[in-house]
Amino acid sequence: MTTATAAPRRKVPFAEAVRTRTLDNGARFFVLENHFNPTVALSGSLHAGPLFAPPDRRLIASLTAGELTKGTERRTKLEIAEELESRGASLAVSAGSADPVGIDVGAGSLSRDREVLLDVLAEVLLSPVFPEEELEKERMRLAGVVREQQDQTSVRAFETAARRIYPRGHPFHRRTAEERIAAIESLTRDELLRFYEQRYGAGAMLLVVVGDVDSDEVLDGLERRFGAWKRGPSLDFARPEPVAAAPGSETVRMPDKASADVVLAHPGDLERRSADYVACVLANSALGQSSLTSRLGVRVRDTEGLTYGIHSGFSATHLAGPFAVSLTVKPESRDAAVAATLEEIHRFRNDGMTPKELADEQTSHVGRFKVDLASNGGIAHALDAAVYYGLGVSYLDEFPSLVEAVTKEQADAAFAKRVNPDLFTIVSAGSFTE
Amino acid sequence: MVSKVLSPPSRDALTETAGSKPVPGHPDFAFVREKAGIREWRLSANGLQVLLLRSTVAPVATFAVVYHVGSRNEAVGHTGATHLLEHLMFKGTAEYDREKGTAVAAVLEAIGARFNATTWFDRTNYYETVPSDAIEVAVKIEASRMRGALLRDSDRVPEMTVVRNEYERGENSPFQVLYKETFATAFREHPYHHPTIGWRTDIEGVATERLKDFYDVFYHPNNATAMLIGDFEEEDALATVARHFGPIPPSPLPIPPIYTVEPQQEGERRFVVRRTGQIAWVALSWRTVAARHPDTPALAVLANVLGGGLTARLHLALVETSLALSVSVVPWQLRDPALFSVFAPVRPGVDPQTVETTIRAEAARVAAEGVTEGETEKARTQIEAEVIFDRDSTDQVAASLSEAIAVADWTWYADYPDLVRAVTPADVRRVAAAYFADDGLTVGRYLPKDPPPA
Repeated sequence: MTTATAAPRRKVPFAEAVRTRTLDNGARFFVLENHFNPTVALSGSLHAGPLFAPPDRRLIASLTAGELTKGTERRTKLEIAEELESRGASLAVSAGSADPVGIDVGAGSLSRDREVLLDVLAEVLLSPVFPEEELEKERMRLAGVVREQQDQTSVRAFETAARRIYPRGHPFHRRTAEERIAAIESLTRDELLRFYEQRYGAGAMLLVVVGDVDSDEVLDGLERRFGAWKRGPSLDFARPEPVAAAPGSETVRMPDKASADVVLAHPGDLERRSADYVACVLANSALGQSSLTSRLGVRVRDTEGLTYGIHSGFSATHLAGPFAVSLTVKPESRDAAVAATLEEIHRFRNDGMTPKELADEQTSHVGRFKVDLASNGGIAHALDAAVYYGLGVSYLDEFPSLVEAVTKEQADAAFAKRVNPDLFTIVSAGSFTE
Repeated sequence: MVSKVLSPPSRDALTETAGSKPVPGHPDFAFVREKAGIREWRLSANGLQVLLLRSTVAPVATFAVVYHVGSRNEAVGHTGATHLLEHLMFKGTAEYDREKGTAVAAVLEAIGARFNATTWFDRTNYYETVPSDAIEVAVKIEASRMRGALLRDSDRVPEMTVVRNEYERGENSPFQVLYKETFATAFREHPYHHPTIGWRTDIEGVATERLKDFYDVFYHPNNATAMLIGDFEEEDALATVARHFGPIPPSPLPIPPIYTVEPQQEGERRFVVRRTGQIAWVALSWRTVAARHPDTPALAVLANVLGGGLTARLHLALVETSLALSVSVVPWQLRDPALFSVFAPVRPGVDPQTVETTIRAEAARVAAEGVTEGETEKARTQIEAEVIFDRDSTDQVAASLSEAIAVADWTWYADYPDLVRAVTPADVRRVAAAYFADDGLTVGRYLPKDPPPA
């Protein structure tokens, strides 16, 4: 039987294979040729996320991103959509939920349509007009979507936890649905235009293109399209003040829900660039990444049969988000499931990982890394993240070694420092009677 | 090979040939045919169908096994048995046993595999995407599952409540409730009537022995297809599959066929689900045909004309007008005749009747007036592009191939782009006229009721 040992490294390291170009205005481009399939995937980021919007108007960032494709100086929303849809191509700009600093650009097309894709991308980033009638439609739609989400136990549990843990104005705070609907309905076109003028510019942008393309052609094409864009804001940002944990619990009662959601969370202090990031990821993986194999999954799902899904994880981006555990249960099983969850986390924190758990997680992460980098989209996304977080292209080459270098002592210490179940805010949402 | 999808079909690429590359002989396999780069083999010892598609885009491969058993093979009393059995296949086999610390999931997790299993109306599939130096791990696990599952009662009892929570999660979702109720209303006799997850009390009540019987009827090499997609050498792959699947005998009895046919629907059916909630939903579903039917590609094009993006007709009629929050169009492709469905969450303040009327009017308009060449070309291109995007990742190809095998056979996957390419505006109008008939329609509404007083 063949077994996977230390993973063979790429024949040509990413650091050599990826072509890069930085323009005078600060725009950064990265291209990797992969000619296996006639497609192209694009992933990019701009420092134009909710962190930069006024604390009581965070929605401006996601609205601005979403409305970029709703009309430009040249074309209407439907003309832009027709250009892409008639080719089976796609383009979306959105504010990611986990990282308040950036917005995400994602696009893909057949490689024969790459010029059209880049044309549309440049058009929506450089010359959006935010038509009032489109904004009005989006206000109505979004207000409905917020209501629709209020029907979901998972959304209610997460939002309530975020509201309890983070103070008003904090980028991770979630206001109530009513407050958000009121904010949506009062958002003006001028606010979007102002935010666009302040936050969008070449210096805040990076774009990664992977696929069946000629890298010189793409780099020249990107330079031609974005070379004259203003530099715009710097990549600097201010971190919010650290938040103290507020242990406690809350139940959100929602009728007619067969399954309840439970969230256990506390503020975190792990950032993507923290030195112990990889150690924390390995430790968490052993604790709760998989409902089938991690400790929480084996105990609460596999052995006790209390849940279909249980996961734990750090939210570590440019900012340190919460550490959170989430699970679904039938309402009557909540107390038993929460008790088992807490017991496992305490034991894990006190005793640490077993050497076998660490070794399994190391081979798992090295192997999974290879599996995740097996598509144009997967590679584009990983390159985008590595550059966005300031780790550099070579991080993709170094990652397996970083994983293999983590010791049990490092993983245990990192987890114990970052996670404390005594500090959890515990929120349940569902049809609880008592 | 993919470029053939884009250009007018070249007959050379489509005729079944032994392939441009020499076909290696193999003592354990009979070579069957090759199409679109996929080679079909049959394991002589037991009839296992094996499909190989090489792609060296990355040093990974996906191994998958599809069994021709799904909720279609169940009846009242053991609805959900296929799915529960799929869950138990992670608990223990002779070689991979959680009680010995060698659980399937733990072994796969440790090599970084992306893996899972899914159950649907017509099939159950198991898959692992692994670094290509670990292909044999996946093959061994799947061979062990085929006849070696332990199916202990001590595994079923805690897993039943896991599955029940999965069922409960589904009940939380208005979309899932609507789709289950739609099938239960549109199908009265055919087993598409009940959902893959099963009825709640069947999930709770089915005995372990019943699951074992089910396993013994359907889990055999002659009722399965194994496929390997990715970075491998063909001769090594065949040898690995033969080594682990070869010793498994074929089923002692023939696999029982499904002979229940849903009679023609003779009038519109309607249902309402009232639950506490915020948003109303509307679902319209017309009875259609089996995936293999020649009208299927035209129905797929019709679905994209109506629902494929911001410029599609129903999006313009419902979302651009702020009647609905979104709209999705699903041309269900199943082994037996299925449905053509439209689902829409209604914007608060809008009467669900308005959304229903609008959908019916758009359906009638296509049937009466047809679609343009431009709309047809856009829809054809979207579907073709999806097939090409699938090829970016081995697990996506495996997923698409699995569905084709479940509802028709694997060559349907290979032929699909050309079948879609051949659809004309007249075809689209013809199928709209043929299937958008009120007598074959099921209309469902999910209506929020006021929360009870606190």
